[in-house]
Parts: sequence; structure tokens; C-alpha cells
Amino acid sequence: MAKSIEWESDLQKALARAKAEQKPVLMDFFNPG
Amino acid sequence: MGAVTFPDPKVTAYITQNMIPLRLPHDHKPLASQFQVTWTPTLVTLDTAGKEHHRTVGFLPPEELIPSLLLGKAKIHFNHDEYPAALKTLEALLKDYPRSDAAPEGIFLRGVSGYKGTHNPKALKEAYERLQKEYPGSEWTKRALPYRLIP
Repeated sequence: MAKSIEWESDLQKALARAKAEQKPVLMDFFNPG
Repeated sequence: MGAVTFPDPKVTAYITQNMIPLRLPHDHKPLASQFQVTWTPTLVTLDTAGKEHHRTVGFLPPEELIPSLLLGKAKIHFNHDEYPAALKTLEALLKDYPRSDAAPEGIFLRGVSGYKGTHNPKALKEAYERLQKEYPGSEWTKRALPYRLIP
């Protein structure tokens, strides 16, 4: 089991993975402070 | 979210197994403008084509995030006319997180998915009756009010 979430940082890469793995994308806009 | 919710083991497991997580700064160019982000955290669920189907703004604790993500997944299926898949996802939401804030909308969407999948209005009336019984004060109960008239 993953110990932490491994976030993508590029939308196109995330969408390519989404298509390949047939999963939705969770896009988190955050304030890095 | 980064300090409390995302490190939660159940949340980490759900997102890792079921979604492609993408994290962007709130001022990302051009996506923050493209997605009209005005506050953080803003969480957006996209389908595999990049189309938005669900959004939340503001903090969600671990016990609310997973049902919200399940609702987003169900909305993707619903908006793609995949009603059996929408119903399956909504059943998981309502079984595992019946007291979550996402549950009333889940019941509403379950009723509409059931109707659109079968053209049987009974699903709509059942949704209203369940909402009236379990969530009488919910906005989703009000939205389902006309379904009470279905014979």
C-alpha cells in the first residue's frame, strides 16, 4: 500500500495515465504557502 | 488538506487505487484561470478526456473526501449515460458513507440514474421517499419534492 499520494504535476501526463488506467483525474489546486 | 486529509491512510489508499492525482498551485498558468479557481483548496474531478464533472471548494476531512470522490466518479458515469456503473458507484457511496454530506446528493442521483436507465419513475419516487425519511432538511430533498406526486 502506498504510504503517500504520488501527485502528478502536469495535466497532459495525468490525462495520459487516466486514459491508460481508465481512472478519473483528481486535480487539486492548492496554496503552497 | 495536505496536513490532515491526504495523509490519512484510507484517503491515500482510495486515491492511489482509484484516481490519477494531479496537484497544481492555485496560480498555475493557464489552468487556474481555465478552471476558474478562486479559492483553495479546489478539488476537481475530470474524466479521461479532461472534462470537469465534480468540484468542491474548501477543506474536507477524510471521512468526507472519499464519499465526495465517489460522487464525482458516479457523476462521470451518469454524464456519459453509463447508468449501471453510476448506480454501482452510488451504492458504494451510500453503503460505506451513509451519513456523509455527499449522501443526500447520492440518493438523488441514484434515483435519476435509475429512472434514466429504466424509464421507470418508481426510482425517482423512491429517491424522494428515502430523502424525506433520512434527510428531511437537505436541499436534495427539496429538489426531489415533485417526485412525491409520482403514483
